[in-house]
Amino acid sequence: MAQEKTYIEDIERTLYDIKNVDKSKYKSQSGLTEDIIRDISARKNDPDWMLEFRLKSLEVYNQLSLPNWGPDLSELNMDEIVTYVQPDAKMTGSWDEVPEDIKETFDRLGIPEAEQTSLAGVGAQYDSEVVYHSIQEDLVKQGVIYTDMETALHEHEEIVRDHFMKLVPPKDHKFAALHGAVWSGGSFVYVPEGVHVEIPLQSYFRLNAAGAGQFEHTLIIVEKNASLHFIEGCSAPKYNVTNLHAGCVELFVNDGARLRYSTIENWSRNMMNLNTKRAVVGKDGVIEWVSGSFGSHVSMLYPCSVLKGENAKCEFTGVTFASKGQNLDTGASVIHCAPHTSANISTRTISKAGGKATYRSAVKVTKNAPYAKCSVNCESLMLDDISRSDTLPTMDIEGDEADIGHEATIGRISDEAIFYLMSRGVSEDEARSMIVRGFVEPIAKELPLEYAVEMNNLVNIELEGTMG
Amino acid sequence: MNKEIFSEIPMRTWNWLGVNEAVVDKDLLVESQNLDIKIEADHQEKMLVEYRKESYGIVNINIGENASLKLTQLQLMPQDCDHVNEINVVLEKKARLQLVAVETGAKSFASKVNIILKGDKSQADVSLLYFGDGDRSLDMNYVLEFQGRKTVGNLEVYGGLMGESQKIFRGTLDFKQGSKQAKGYEKENVVVLSSGVRNRSVPIMLSGEDDVVGNHAVSSGKINEDKLHYLMSRGLSPAEARKLVLEAAFNPVLELIDDEALRQEIDSYIKERLENE
Repeated sequence: MAQEKTYIEDIERTLYDIKNVDKSKYKSQSGLTEDIIRDISARKNDPDWMLEFRLKSLEVYNQLSLPNWGPDLSELNMDEIVTYVQPDAKMTGSWDEVPEDIKETFDRLGIPEAEQTSLAGVGAQYDSEVVYHSIQEDLVKQGVIYTDMETALHEHEEIVRDHFMKLVPPKDHKFAALHGAVWSGGSFVYVPEGVHVEIPLQSYFRLNAAGAGQFEHTLIIVEKNASLHFIEGCSAPKYNVTNLHAGCVELFVNDGARLRYSTIENWSRNMMNLNTKRAVVGKDGVIEWVSGSFGSHVSMLYPCSVLKGENAKCEFTGVTFASKGQNLDTGASVIHCAPHTSANISTRTISKAGGKATYRSAVKVTKNAPYAKCSVNCESLMLDDISRSDTLPTMDIEGDEADIGHEATIGRISDEAIFYLMSRGVSEDEARSMIVRGFVEPIAKELPLEYAVEMNNLVNIELEGTMG
Repeated sequence: MNKEIFSEIPMRTWNWLGVNEAVVDKDLLVESQNLDIKIEADHQEKMLVEYRKESYGIVNINIGENASLKLTQLQLMPQDCDHVNEINVVLEKKARLQLVAVETGAKSFASKVNIILKGDKSQADVSLLYFGDGDRSLDMNYVLEFQGRKTVGNLEVYGGLMGESQKIFRGTLDFKQGSKQAKGYEKENVVVLSSGVRNRSVPIMLSGEDDVVGNHAVSSGKINEDKLHYLMSRGLSPAEARKLVLEAAFNPVLELIDDEALRQEIDSYIKERLENE
């Protein structure tokens, strides 16, 4: 008897796929040359050291090879990527001053509305530049700085110079070097000692131009005993040419501080998302990552936490949904460098319609980290037999005092679970729906409220027939 | 450089972890001792392979329909030797493999095991014991490839590490498309006895088929202090207490070795190492 499969719809993308007419004020030539980098740097009025940094990064980029692991990146042709697209808009603190088409884009994405209801500050980047930034006045009075990276580079140059690409040096990998050469936009956050930012800050990155790259840099410093919740969102409309995202996030969580960094990535299906995120955590500090990867054609994203101070902690919660035409290679890494550090990594991956989801992780415990504890849990759900789901964790443990555990499961929705729920009076469709919702629940409950709607799209399932 | 890649994991990861491949001296790979075995359909066999002197051993096995093989491979090389060994098995329909492997010898060794569950309802149960001490280097790469329907693969690994030994264990469950209703299970328990140890584990699960069940788990930690204190309070020396706890940890593999004398030999070997540490 022919059996039908469970069908789970892709995320509704219409909202994200609305394109604006390209009204950019300036576009660099496609490709990557010293002249292009000098041009970008001049337009941004970079200090000399930053120009030098960019040029050195270009040298490193030219020396490094593509990674010999992970998804195939051979279709990425840097000669066809426009690395800098300046929108026809100046950075402002008022939505009324943002050009109408750009404002409408962010309206559709719900950013101004969220700003009114649930955020303490907002940054909005359109192509290569931030077009809007705001922060509540009471936070400014407490010394909190939340601005775009270009402004920070000029107004807080020493802080930026001391931290910029110190956690993710250009030599780290080829796309870190690329980022160092052509970075543009992004957010800078500084939370002074003892200040608790109770309401989240959010930066949203929108790439509108076809064939372009976005290379925003996010630098967050949370001083001793301070706390912050930062939300990052990103999307782009779909084009028939490859777009590239090679952002970089550097997070400095000092002693006793706490930072929650939440991301919902919903790039279009022509995007190569090669992003690098890293945090260093001081004594008694806490980094919490909440990461949702739904979009892009190819993703390589593995937030890294360096637990440098004694008793530093990391919590990583991630969900990845790979559908048709997607190869999402995601995960996390943790490096324990001090005694009594601890980490908890929990991920869920779903693959369907030929999508490929890979979970990749690394846990490294150095000799200097006795009594380190780490627990890794990865669950993968496959919704058909044309998709792929791969799990590739690595543990590298030095010393005899670490306590490390790893668990992973892979499979599909079990018939037994469906039958059990049906025996309790639940319809078959609802039973499947409940199981998928339950599968992503540990992640969904960690997401910021404003992203609950987006997550609901994920579990907006359409069920037909019986289990395959 | 006089080195050569001996084995690689089926899917590469970050190079900085140093686990993508096992590299050995070319000299070790010059001359291999090959053992080709065919277990005819409906036959049951038992085999013992022992490595006690420097060699590159390759065992190729085909297990016919409804046949079974219990293969015990013991690597008890002297401490000053390097060693590589390799097992390749193909299982036909309803064939069964029980592999008991013990890797306790050699200064530096690399082993690779590739088991293909080709026939429907074939099953492989793999039990591995490894023990590292001194400055020994242990490198293992085990792959269970599920091709047939309703295939079953279990990989249970028990390890003990002390001194400044370094170990990499890679265990892969690879569910190929079409391996419907296959079940795979992998477990590695490592007991770490010294602060100078480096312990790397790579439990990989690859799946191109949704109708499978795959699980893997790894735990790594020091020997249970409460157990040690209890045993020492009963008059055992620290070495004796550790040996007893380790023996209990290794028992699931040791008890599968049919030959009592060999079991005693391995037991004595580990005890001696613990006492010399």
